[in-house]
Amino acid sequence: MKAFVIDLNKCVGCHDCQIGCKDEHCGNDWMPYAKPQPDTGQFWMKVHQYERGAVPHVKVTYIPVMCQHCENAPCKAACPENAIYQRDDGLVVIDPAKCNGCGDCIDACSYGVIYFNKELNIAQKCTGCAHLLDRKWPIEVPRCVDNCHVGAIQFGEESELDLTGTETLHPEFGLKTRVYYRGLPKRFVAGTVYDPMIKEVVIGATCTLSGESGKFTAKTDNFGDFWLRDLPEADFTLTIKADGKTKTMEVSTKEKDIGLGDVPLA
Amino acid sequence: MPKMKNETVGKPGKAVDPWQEPETTIVRGIASGGVGGEPAALDSKNGKIVRIRPIRWDWKYDENHLSTRLWKFTSRGKTFECPPKSSPPYFTFAYKKRVYSKNRVKYPLKRVDWEPGGDPAKINAQNRGKSKFKRISWDEAASIIASEIKRVKETYGPFAVLAVGEDGHCESKNLHMTGGCHMSFLDKVGGYTRETRTPDSVEGFYWGAKHVWGTGANMGLAMTSPCENIIKDVADHTDMIVLQAGDWETVQNFCGQFWSHVIRYYLDLGIKFVVIDPFCNYTAVAHDEMKWIPILPNTDVALDYAIIYTWIKEGTYDKEYIETHTIGFDKVKAYVLGEEDGVPKSPAWASPICGVPEWTIKALAREWGSKKTSIGHFCGCHIRGPYSHEPGRTEAYKLAMQGMGGPGVHQIHLFSFNVARQPIKPGYGPLLGAYKATQFAPTVQAIPRTMVHHAIEKGHVEHYGSPQIIFAPAEDQWEKYVYPAPVEEGGGEIHMMWSEKPCNMGCWNGGFKFQEAMRSPKMECIITNHQWLENDSLFADLVLPVTCVAEEADAVGSGFGVSVNWAGIQDKACEPVGESMSDYQIAVRIAKEFGVEDQLSQGMSDDEWLKYAFDTSPIANDISWEEFSEKGYYIPEFDPDWEKGPSGLREFYDDPEENPLDTPSGKIEFYSEALAENFPDDKERGPIAKWIVGGSESEGWTHDETLWGEKAKKYPLLLVANPGRWRVHVQSDDITWFREIQTCKVKGYDGYLYEPMWIHPVDADKRGIKHGDIVKLFNNEGIVLVGAYVTQRMLPGSIMVNKGARVDPITDRIDRGGSTNLITTPKPISKNCWGFAVTGFLVEAEKLSPAEMDEWKKKYPEVFARDYDPASGSRYSGWVEGVE
Repeated sequence: MKAFVIDLNKCVGCHDCQIGCKDEHCGNDWMPYAKPQPDTGQFWMKVHQYERGAVPHVKVTYIPVMCQHCENAPCKAACPENAIYQRDDGLVVIDPAKCNGCGDCIDACSYGVIYFNKELNIAQKCTGCAHLLDRKWPIEVPRCVDNCHVGAIQFGEESELDLTGTETLHPEFGLKTRVYYRGLPKRFVAGTVYDPMIKEVVIGATCTLSGESGKFTAKTDNFGDFWLRDLPEADFTLTIKADGKTKTMEVSTKEKDIGLGDVPLA
Repeated sequence: MPKMKNETVGKPGKAVDPWQEPETTIVRGIASGGVGGEPAALDSKNGKIVRIRPIRWDWKYDENHLSTRLWKFTSRGKTFECPPKSSPPYFTFAYKKRVYSKNRVKYPLKRVDWEPGGDPAKINAQNRGKSKFKRISWDEAASIIASEIKRVKETYGPFAVLAVGEDGHCESKNLHMTGGCHMSFLDKVGGYTRETRTPDSVEGFYWGAKHVWGTGANMGLAMTSPCENIIKDVADHTDMIVLQAGDWETVQNFCGQFWSHVIRYYLDLGIKFVVIDPFCNYTAVAHDEMKWIPILPNTDVALDYAIIYTWIKEGTYDKEYIETHTIGFDKVKAYVLGEEDGVPKSPAWASPICGVPEWTIKALAREWGSKKTSIGHFCGCHIRGPYSHEPGRTEAYKLAMQGMGGPGVHQIHLFSFNVARQPIKPGYGPLLGAYKATQFAPTVQAIPRTMVHHAIEKGHVEHYGSPQIIFAPAEDQWEKYVYPAPVEEGGGEIHMMWSEKPCNMGCWNGGFKFQEAMRSPKMECIITNHQWLENDSLFADLVLPVTCVAEEADAVGSGFGVSVNWAGIQDKACEPVGESMSDYQIAVRIAKEFGVEDQLSQGMSDDEWLKYAFDTSPIANDISWEEFSEKGYYIPEFDPDWEKGPSGLREFYDDPEENPLDTPSGKIEFYSEALAENFPDDKERGPIAKWIVGGSESEGWTHDETLWGEKAKKYPLLLVANPGRWRVHVQSDDITWFREIQTCKVKGYDGYLYEPMWIHPVDADKRGIKHGDIVKLFNNEGIVLVGAYVTQRMLPGSIMVNKGARVDPITDRIDRGGSTNLITTPKPISKNCWGFAVTGFLVEAEKLSPAEMDEWKKKYPEVFARDYDPASGSRYSGWVEGVE
């Protein structure tokens, strides 16, 4: 069975994958695998981006999302025309010749990755570039994989890919998806600790978050910065300690990541 | 030149399903920035491009062959290998959308209310940028152009035609390269006035650092030279890289995305990156390991001097190097310590100026003073603003104080990309025999690009320095140049303009003023060559359709910024769109009207020129013409001893007496005696760099663009105009696939896609601006409309709008396309330095009320009735009559 592994730690947000997908499918007819994708409005591969934190502790997480090629594909079950099929290699494909445009699959999809093509009256989505895989030319992998210049998207036999430490999107849906992610964002709390009396950053301060969901600790670096990453969404007490001085404050990662800016330790 | 047939699945002429239809492939770089760049494969079928994708170097060559051509090295236990697959710019992958753009110029166009002959009543100069165009034939266009050239020259003198070249659609070309093909022709018919390309993007180094460390890369850019072997030396020795306004992940896309690999490798080695920028740029946000230090635009000198102050106070600089390698340090030291003006340039002094907390300045200074640090520089904004020669110089000072050229201490810049030295440098270098453009050839009469509007308005301009982007040593800046040239030499005012680079208003200074100059009745005929109907072309009388790179057979290799230097030869990937021709072919076509076409083409066909270029190049010794043509690309071997070669300025570092710089003293000059002698009264660019606030014109200041002057009371926001993430300069603003990316455009309530204005919630709230609002961005120069993008990626007090959005005029000095250059000052960097100041200037932002918009709609109904397509923006059919 074919699967994707997307490493978000390698992703630089360039959108090579999203653009490559458009280049492969917009205006190109790959029948019997796929009809052309409209020039705009559909994203068989879409890079979602999330701005996180506050000045000056800001990061953006980019998450490329396409059809998750579920083993228990709800779109397939929902199609009254049996137009959606699962290939022997596991890729889920909508047969444009059979699709009657009823849109049931679009409603059934838990990941919102099926689009309606008004002009052609069909539902469309990522095919895993099955036409390239079968033709084996000019490339033998999906375009998003070939286009990625930093190797953040891998494609291959599920059994041969290194899946350790990966996660899937919404495993609670129970759909057995075949797109695995490394580095899905968890919450962070960050700040710059300084001494307001001498106007210097505080290096090596111990910053501890504690709460019901656990205890997390980091030390400030040579810029006075601490970054507590991979946190759960919870309420915490943040304690900053250095040179006999202590500061505590309440922070919550329930809603968002926290960039505290410059934190005086007096 | 045959196309490379691939192992196609289907057979020509045989009916198969679409997915099996045969395709052909060519290899070429497609970089909008004007160099070959990382190569891509263009697959075509039935005369159209199917896809554009990266290539694998082993496509046509085996592992053994490549082993002496693809470099690898090991540093700190980690090996870095040349990526096996090319990393083209992401623009390359969307280039199909440029070839088949809705804004593509397909035929020669003539403005409907312009007639040749120079009669003011018939040229309707005032309607440029307002009236529409209609299609004419090539024969009619050529005949009009020929008669206008003859008439204008006879009436006003041999140099009355201004030829503007290069850059606007400077793509990856060689034989067909823009940049003065028309100059080559005009030279054969008695001459022309040359528009001198000024050192855009590196202005601060050109006008400042050149007087500290010499002429530098490309004989004039004033970024450090030599710049070989830097990538490995940094890997071996550097602890920290400071990107002082240089967004590597973004700016690299003018040629490729190889630098992403370098960044990843450096981060994996544990090299610390610090990004100093008002905007948390695309490099800083993408890498968890990087530290962002937000700074107010155009205040880098204050930060730099506070760092230098800390080093002096704490003794954390290379005192021995200062003794042996530099002169004049004591004068800078005295200024920094406040001995000159009573103001110590301490972190406490700098903090309120630059917006960086005092503790962070000290922490940065200490890290820098104790660790091997290089500066990464990729056309950042701090080098393109008012008085940019000052941060250009303080950047050099910082490197000098930490032993520049020593292990791990370099300026990493656009030209320091070569990993392993290749004795043959392909690029378009060895195949230059085919190159036709003569943009850099000197002429009797010339106007710097930054002064064209002034020259048209005043009829006379004077300036110091040529000021040409390359081939310009520091001494050139003592020379005074005058336009027009003396009458006895044929000098006289220009009355006609022919541009192969129609983007002066979007790329250079004082865009609105440039529009006014184009509307001057003095300009009797304005011609542009361009692929897309945009920017300066909207203000032209005749627009000539130009081919895209994909439509030309050429011999183009890597240019620069690539993982490995390669040479290439390529057939066209598709037929020319409409009746377009290359700039070279256009020059030959017009030359025909004068009977001088053979002087340009030497009677040789394009294919013969490509063969000639090969025959006269050093790669002809390495590979046969047949094999080269069949394979399409070729990588010369690297020097097996490349790792032993000196890194950057290492030879100067090792022995400055034997290996002097080309400064007057041969050393790094903190204090420039030459500047003191040549411009003794210049308070803006003195012999040492200073923090300059500027002030009123009456007091002799060129600028007042800080938060500390009078102007800030009216315009309190500092605008930083970074290079675009989804454009290269003004190119590619019409690519539908980019325009639907979240950070590319902001959709206004009227459905128009506005250029994003990045603003912090604090500044937005103060002005009642919400995310997605249409915003009026304005100063004394005029108004551009933008769309609010409320974000934490912006330092309060500053806003960011990417430069280079296409102009979309509403009326005089009001535009809704969001081109920041329109509202830049037409003034120079400083009195004696005619560079541009196009970022780091003051504006105010105000939510546009629907009432005001409605008023404009009532007043200028024809503007709002123009055909507009949000997916691609301003388009051809909105400007040309009789188009469906």
